[in-house]
Amino acid sequence: MAVKKDYKDKKLAEKLRDRKYYIPDSNPEFIKEVEKIGLTAAHLCYQCGTCTGSCPSAPRSSYRIRLFMRKAILGLEEEILTDPDLWLCTTCYSCTDRCPRDLAPTDAIMAMRNLAARRDIVPRNFLKTTQLIYQTGHGVPNNDANRAARMKLGLEAEPETTHKYPEYLAGIRKIMDHYGLKERADKILAEEG
Amino acid sequence: MAEVKKNEEPRIGVFVCHCGTNIAGSIDIKAVMEYAKTLPNVAIADDYQYMCSTPGQNKIVEAIEEHKLTGIVVAACSPRLHEPTFRVATREGGLNPFRFEMANIREQNSWVHMHQPEEATEKAKDSVRIAVAKASLLEDLIPKSVPVERAAMVVGAGIGGMQAALDLASAGIKTYLVEKNPTIGGKMSQLDKTFPTLDCSQCILTPKMVDVFRHENIELLTYTEVEAVEGYIGNFDVTLRKKARGVLTLEEAEARGFVGGGCNGCGDCEDVCPVIRPNPFELGMAPMKAIYIYHPQVSPLLYTIDFDSCVKCNLCVDICGDKKAIDLNAKDEFETVKVGTVILATGYDIFPIEEKFEWGYKNYDNVITSLEFERLICASGPTGGHLIRPSDGATPKKVAFVLCAGSRDNTGVGKPYCSRFCCMYSLKHAHQIIEKIPDAVPYLFYMDIRSFGKMYEEFYYRIQDEGAKFIRGRVANILEDPVTKNLHVNAEDTLLGRPIDVEVDMVVLAAAVQPAAETDATRRLFGVSCSQDGWLLEAHPKLNPCGTTTAGVYLAGVCQGPKDIPDTVAQAEGAASAASIPIHLGEVELEPYFAVCLEDKCAGCGMCINLCPYQALALVEKEGRTVMQVTEAKCKGCGTCGGFCPGGAIWMQHFATPQIIAQIDAFLLGGEQ
Repeated sequence: MAVKKDYKDKKLAEKLRDRKYYIPDSNPEFIKEVEKIGLTAAHLCYQCGTCTGSCPSAPRSSYRIRLFMRKAILGLEEEILTDPDLWLCTTCYSCTDRCPRDLAPTDAIMAMRNLAARRDIVPRNFLKTTQLIYQTGHGVPNNDANRAARMKLGLEAEPETTHKYPEYLAGIRKIMDHYGLKERADKILAEEG
Repeated sequence: MAEVKKNEEPRIGVFVCHCGTNIAGSIDIKAVMEYAKTLPNVAIADDYQYMCSTPGQNKIVEAIEEHKLTGIVVAACSPRLHEPTFRVATREGGLNPFRFEMANIREQNSWVHMHQPEEATEKAKDSVRIAVAKASLLEDLIPKSVPVERAAMVVGAGIGGMQAALDLASAGIKTYLVEKNPTIGGKMSQLDKTFPTLDCSQCILTPKMVDVFRHENIELLTYTEVEAVEGYIGNFDVTLRKKARGVLTLEEAEARGFVGGGCNGCGDCEDVCPVIRPNPFELGMAPMKAIYIYHPQVSPLLYTIDFDSCVKCNLCVDICGDKKAIDLNAKDEFETVKVGTVILATGYDIFPIEEKFEWGYKNYDNVITSLEFERLICASGPTGGHLIRPSDGATPKKVAFVLCAGSRDNTGVGKPYCSRFCCMYSLKHAHQIIEKIPDAVPYLFYMDIRSFGKMYEEFYYRIQDEGAKFIRGRVANILEDPVTKNLHVNAEDTLLGRPIDVEVDMVVLAAAVQPAAETDATRRLFGVSCSQDGWLLEAHPKLNPCGTTTAGVYLAGVCQGPKDIPDTVAQAEGAASAASIPIHLGEVELEPYFAVCLEDKCAGCGMCINLCPYQALALVEKEGRTVMQVTEAKCKGCGTCGGFCPGGAIWMQHFATPQIIAQIDAFLLGGEQ
């Protein structure tokens, strides 16, 4: 366990915090949960870095998928679930295509997002998207500019989705209600204010 | 015998090789060739893309006849590479093969002066001029043949030595297998299981031990060491010290007239022996009597007395009774055997890892070495296969494995090389604790996992899948909790970029290996070189890994460098094959580079006799005078005597004084005669 020193100055305490990794600070069950949800043998990652190398997000952000895999193996649950980088994956699946151990890092990330969501740790934009899907059936609903573009291309203004057939929205809402997604998003956003 | 030609007018052919762009890339070949044509005695100069190719060699063959050449110079690569090739071409052209001289303009010129083409070309001209000067004075030489004794010796009876001996013996060669310990089997007999197949080590080893013991062509000499070596390829006289064992074999007893006597391995003596001391086979973790066998599967099954600890109480003699197998007054005996070739398979020891203070071996109770782990996890080991913490006998749950412990270390304390099998056995250890101990977690601290062999990477995958934790980072230090005797392993998880402190119940150090203690003394007896780190030096690291620079002496197993069991067995079979070739040929040709005594000039002073490192020289009476005589087969042509002789009476064939002076003159005078 990390040694805690009782410095009076809070800033100093943070500055001098013991950043060493200790096994008892970790959750050995975390990787098993990730594997159960993600359906991939994440513990077999040998940290080659092909994932981060393939990642379109990595060069433009601080998102490092290899590091998430490593932290998951070490059971650093708190650190992973509270890390905003977890949400920078575009789910392009390039890493999954190229992983030499035939793992699915994308699915491991999705599993970790699931676990974060259980604790209501989800970024605002994802929650807003949830609300939009509930309202319109689309994460990015159609708008006037898009409608004009479609018409110009000789398409109908509304695509063959809930936009054209709003009667199917009820079904989508039923699924989302079953998982409590909208309710959860509303609650978190309300708490954040 | 070929006709020896002398004293003709020298006519030299010079051939300059492009070696693709290896040489031609930085040296102006045409300039060198044109220059060669201006040199004295040069009858023809030519060039070719690859002189070593068949058309290149044909140029030499044809030129010899066409230009009535007396000597050949090829300016190309190192003579270590292609001298034999061009000697054959020279002979095919009708010249004595020793009329050939090589100028190295590749390794010693174009490769090192890649960016100085002008200077390189001038240097190549110098090399050619020097070679021509020597070639003008070369003489016909006739190699000597010596008969080869139809017997071989293998020193060291671990898995490498055993395999080499079995192969030689099965090829019909009488083989002496010499082992310093009372039993054969070596380090492999101390191992529990072998990677990656997880075979029980003893189970695959003991059948081979039995084969060795029973083979009619193998004379097994356990508890025996090499005392002295004389001779040369084909005719080594090896003196062996048979250490006083104090116990007679059935044959030895019969020879003393005790028919039906001798040791049958019953073990009664061990029961009554009052002296208890640590068992070196169990690395001191189990007791042993003064009269002992290492383990139940020893071969030969024969007790041995440790006379350093024996109190000569006679209890064992009494209990042995009519078998009369015990002789407390035994003395070391010496025997000299004659063999044609020798294989060294002297193996390795564990580096004394306590010298790396930061890991606390021998200071903290629960830090052990990998070999100790092997004994503790082995069902026939001191704990019956129950892994326990030395501090309290508890079963460890969390075990840290420290890889590269003392390997890949340039501090001077430790070894600069990779010990090569530690990664794999540590993976195997991780598997063994997962298999044997419920909820056990192995932590492997590694820098790289080097799983290079067949099915090795697959084994790594399997162990990772079984739940072993891999932490990439070399262990910085280990601290002991003085109360619990648990250990804090400090390292950096370099993949996380963060320091890490893992509290474990036990630490296993995958200690580096080093040449066995006796290796250096043994190699000196046989005149074999060693590399900086003490491993015996092969003749060529890639193309002759089993041979040595001493003709007739070969290497097998870890004594040549760290290797695992498959590689050791493969090299042993290679060494056995190499060692059997001279024996099957029946005679070997020696390069005629030996010293010759010019008896007219020799004053018989005898100063050279003691200088010779090979005992090849002697004083003899000839026509009423004392003169020196060379045993040509022993002479290695080192030139020590020839350089020293105050009367200039020793002629070093192929490196004679006039030839060397001519080379020096050619260099210093820059071609001006």
